[in-house]
Amino acid sequence: MRVQEPNRAAVETRDHARVTSVLMVGVGGQGILMVSKVLATLCQNAGMEVKQSEVHGMAKRGGAVFSHIRFGPEVHSPLIPEGEADVLLALEWAEGLRWLHYLRPGEGVFISDVRRIVPPFACRNRGRGVTPEYARATPAEIIGRLGTGYALDATGIARGLGNERTANTVLLGVLSTALAFPEEAWIEVISRVVPAETLEINRAAFLAGRAWVAEATVPEEEASPVTADPLLARITHRLEITRAWCKGCDICVKFCPERCLVLDEEQIALLAEPEACTGCRLCEWLCPDFAIRLHKEVPAPGASTSPETTSGTAGCDR
Amino acid sequence: MNEIALTSADRFDIRDWLRLEMFPHFLCPGCGHGLALRAFLWAVHELGIDRDALAVISGIGCAGRLSAYVDANTFHVTHGRPLAFATGLKLARPDLTVVVITGDGDGLAIGGNHLIHACRRNLDLTCLLLNNEVYGMTGGQVSPTTAAERYTTTTPAGNCEPGFDACKLAEGAGATFVGREATLQVPTLKNLIREAIAHKGFSFVEVISDCTEIFGRKNALGNSPEMVLRQKAGMRPDNWGNKVDRPFRPNPFPTGVFVRKTRPEYLELYEAMTAAARREERD
Repeated sequence: MRVQEPNRAAVETRDHARVTSVLMVGVGGQGILMVSKVLATLCQNAGMEVKQSEVHGMAKRGGAVFSHIRFGPEVHSPLIPEGEADVLLALEWAEGLRWLHYLRPGEGVFISDVRRIVPPFACRNRGRGVTPEYARATPAEIIGRLGTGYALDATGIARGLGNERTANTVLLGVLSTALAFPEEAWIEVISRVVPAETLEINRAAFLAGRAWVAEATVPEEEASPVTADPLLARITHRLEITRAWCKGCDICVKFCPERCLVLDEEQIALLAEPEACTGCRLCEWLCPDFAIRLHKEVPAPGASTSPETTSGTAGCDR
Repeated sequence: MNEIALTSADRFDIRDWLRLEMFPHFLCPGCGHGLALRAFLWAVHELGIDRDALAVISGIGCAGRLSAYVDANTFHVTHGRPLAFATGLKLARPDLTVVVITGDGDGLAIGGNHLIHACRRNLDLTCLLLNNEVYGMTGGQVSPTTAAERYTTTTPAGNCEPGFDACKLAEGAGATFVGREATLQVPTLKNLIREAIAHKGFSFVEVISDCTEIFGRKNALGNSPEMVLRQKAGMRPDNWGNKVDRPFRPNPFPTGVFVRKTRPEYLELYEAMTAAARREERD
């Protein structure tokens, strides 16, 4: 998915008289530091002043994983002010969207992998078949709003080359087309930064990224939305509590992650909120009296599929 | 609606393995032994052992009562002697999978001698030692594994003896498989027991269990859910020593498999020896 724009080479044609700012973002472990090191070294070799500053944290848990790179004849601040990044390079789609406001309005270049790394807190509703609360905006919507934007499946390209971990180098290849440095200089720096045994594949990944930009516009497939397996969505849970066996030890009530069990007036476990039960089996496993049983069921073929008949209690007295 | 089974947990129904007419069982509310029994039966189910080929032997005590609830070949034997009975049974019927369920008093106090010799002999048995740090059935007396300074009915001013590390004892006595897990982690415990049963030779598993009604109450350890949660939070501070096995993270409560080695199994040695003796006689 890309948008061809007349100002595609905006950064490239800009003389380096003023400071250029590149913001790189992503999730821990994707190689943001590696690509920022490549760019910083490249600028240094070109005789420019470079300031690079990074934060590595846990992006998907609310922390930050980013790297600011500013280069030019004279750089004062190491940090890019909001709305002044010339290029935003995102190694993960939602992280790209998170930092979008740093991009220079109208002229900044947005480069992002469309790969989705869904964070744990996007799965707060743990019901079966629930779509995670991930960024809903499609690449087409976002790129359409920007001056210049590239959204590519860098991870897929890298996987095709034989190593998913070189997705960052693929994106570096895309970045290289937006900055005025010769191809040989990029490859020379990359070969010095990456481990020797991955030299060839990184080189291929870099060239693949460049080739992707050079190719004519091809309608990319939309990234498939993150949804659960349809079979899992049809499974319903029924919790069976054998009242005669329950001794009211309270373990199931306190351990239930959804807090859907209570002790009734006779101090016997009761499923108070059947619709909240996700069928995680914790209560079944931690019941010392074997009083709780979970039944997973799917509607019989041909039966009317009513999604609301999920879990319910069947208090069976023995 | 059709029942569906996607995972091992779906396929396992503990009631297939229980003598339902004996339920509800006699254990106190929140007793960890029930969780241990579930993990054990789940492991047996996963291994695909037939109930007629399974023998469960237990001694006296709360843990000793568990065998009565299992729908298999079960023996409830004299105090401290389940391993001795199991040894005889295994030698007579090597085709059976023999599992001993014992407690900390049954296995380490009165039956301590049988335990060390069973470890030494390396007969293909599995011993589950359910450690709840107390003699619960008889009213809460101090046991060999009661941690120092804990209160019991016989140590009203606190226990002045150090607790016993059963896993180190088994390892020292020569057991070829030694592991420990808490009842909080039911699936992990199940995997450990499954590996122990599948192991050829004597395997020893210490299950950290909770005595909620007697030990927990005497020591103000909270109600059942709090005690289960506490299992991973240094509930037994000085029992295993504050050995630092990872930097910055003292681990007062190591779990997992400690010993996994191969040594000639007793039955094989015994059969080879008798065969050799018969040959000699014949010649």
